[in-house]
Amino acid sequence: MSGTKVLRSLLHELRKASPNGCIKDSLAARYILAQYKKYETTDQQHCKARNEAVFLGQTYLTYLSSLRNYTELYHEFHGRGERTVKDTADLVGFKLPTDPK
Amino acid sequence: MTTKLMLSALRTLRVSVPNKWQVPALNTVRHYAAPPKRFYKKTSVLCTDGGYEVVLDHRKLKTPKGAPFTVKSEPLAIAVATEFDSQKEHIERSRMHLSALCFTAIDNPNNLNKLDMVNYLLNYMPTDTVLFQYDDEQDLQELQKNEWDPVIDWFNQRFETNLQKTMNITAPHITDADKVKVAKHFQSYSLETLHGFVYAVDTLKSVVLACAVIEQMLPVEKAVALARLEEEYQIKFWGRVEWSHDLSQQELQARLAASVLFVHLNCSENFVKEKLIL
Repeated sequence: MSGTKVLRSLLHELRKASPNGCIKDSLAARYILAQYKKYETTDQQHCKARNEAVFLGQTYLTYLSSLRNYTELYHEFHGRGERTVKDTADLVGFKLPTDPK
Repeated sequence: MTTKLMLSALRTLRVSVPNKWQVPALNTVRHYAAPPKRFYKKTSVLCTDGGYEVVLDHRKLKTPKGAPFTVKSEPLAIAVATEFDSQKEHIERSRMHLSALCFTAIDNPNNLNKLDMVNYLLNYMPTDTVLFQYDDEQDLQELQKNEWDPVIDWFNQRFETNLQKTMNITAPHITDADKVKVAKHFQSYSLETLHGFVYAVDTLKSVVLACAVIEQMLPVEKAVALARLEEEYQIKFWGRVEWSHDLSQQELQARLAASVLFVHLNCSENFVKEKLIL
């Protein structure tokens, strides 16, 4: 994955992770953008492995997206106790007597 | 005579069974501690002499042991602050791997020292996942040979060791010279960083894969896929269950990514030396 693509996906994940869906004043987004500015010409640094910056970006991206997927699956499948009468009726396509026809 | 014996045996059974094996009542409910509510609005990072601290509104973040949360690396502190900020209504501590890892490294709840951790990692090597291969099933063996062998070869080249895979249940023999070489590598890291290594090894069940991903030879997803190679192979025949296979895969990926980030951010330093203009 190229650097730009990682950046776009990282911002996307950060936006999804933030509670109000806005990353205008998010620390992480600002830090990542500053790093991208810093390594704009090249991210090959002395005494560092090749593509270290992109690797770290990808790892953080994996972290954020895996956590989000995990939470989604958890909420989908985790037991919430007994279903209500309305849930059960919806499940089999029935209507409650109180529902409009 | 036999009926008498049978009757007495039955009686002893009837008397002893309810005492020995308590049948769990069906309506027992397990009570878990409720996760704490999110009590802050904004998180930020503070730069102090000792390092970087995380602030929740105006309160400083503390570790479970009560020590102040201080890390040396700025991106790590920012990542922890972001993680706390991304909690919605409750603070789900079981899903905050990066913060948990930082807390463990600061508190060191088991009072481990460097030698303990290096020994733990070395003792893991004879039970390394990728060294145990299976040649009864042709396809699986081929898959393991194609996927795992290059990683073992890379490890042997990188650390100048001679690890050999095993085809049966006996553990591979690892010579003392090899152990010394690997131990030297681990000893070169600080105590905090080793916590990250142990976390990665526990996640992948493999020292070889953990080293490969931390040295950037493999991306995180690939390393997790290699650690789950046999599971994936069996899934092809028996079907994929989302709430088990996918859930464990995503969790392993998140855990491994957290430990890799932790190791990298802990041992990377950026110096900027500015020229003095007179």
